Amino acid sequence: MTAATGADEAPTPPTSWTVRTRTRISRIVPQGQALPDRQPAYMSSWIYVFGVLTIAALLVVIATGVLLAIGGVAWWHVSPAGHFVNSLHLWSVELFFAFMVIHLWGKFWMAAWRGNRALTWMTGVLAFLGSIGTAFTGYLSQSNFDSQWISTQAKDGLNAVGVGAYFNVLNPGQMLVWHVTLLPLLIGLIVAIHLVLVRRHGIVPPLEAEAADANLADEGGAR
Amino acid sequence: MKSSVLLADPAGRYISAGVIQISLTNAITIGAMIVLFALAILLPFPRHGGRGRRGGDS
Repeated sequence: MTAATGADEAPTPPTSWTVRTRTRISRIVPQGQALPDRQPAYMSSWIYVFGVLTIAALLVVIATGVLLAIGGVAWWHVSPAGHFVNSLHLWSVELFFAFMVIHLWGKFWMAAWRGNRALTWMTGVLAFLGSIGTAFTGYLSQSNFDSQWISTQAKDGLNAVGVGAYFNVLNPGQMLVWHVTLLPLLIGLIVAIHLVLVRRHGIVPPLEAEAADANLADEGGAR
Repeated sequence: MKSSVLLADPAGRYISAGVIQISLTNAITIGAMIVLFALAILLPFPRHGGRGRRGGDS
């Protein structure tokens, strides 16, 4: 096997799947925009901070959730360290939702779906709805009287819409697996797509931004 | 029976206005979020001194 360094070697044919994949990946976001070091002037506003605050809170949620999964139910119920991590998990979720809703308000009032950003908006919607489901299964996984109360209150509504046989809130094992594997994977995937789309289209400008400064090509362009 | 009285106790203080009923804790939390939203709109964002205008060309 020879190294592909010779200048006279034939170039890899464009039909190669590695070339096609590499080209496709390189075109997902404009060059230099994956981790940009410069941003438009209109981004100098506190309202643009709440997206990254939401991500930061989500990272704390995931890290403390991993610790809770390692320690187990008895650990988070009886040990001081377990109580502390359990509280960190709860309060980071509270902050996650507060930051996410303020981010949502900010983006709604600047019509953040402008400029081919509809998919960015919709993945944000999905992340919000998925987060509600993840938080709900988290409340059901506390293994205390609160989780019992919530599950008995929720079962009738879920049975009424016909999903009770597949999503049984009275089954703590099923709810725990939804909470620690399926829904976090879903949220992680949606958030990753959301972030890639934000980098692909750039941050949304405020309504009063100059058209030339706003990157608002409504026709054509990448979606 | 005392236990039934305990179970009947509300879990917190509630604000009621017609069909609307919300716990005081939730009302304070939502109010704080609205205040934070307003501050994020109104407060100026700190700028780095001496580096000129940031961005504007991307």
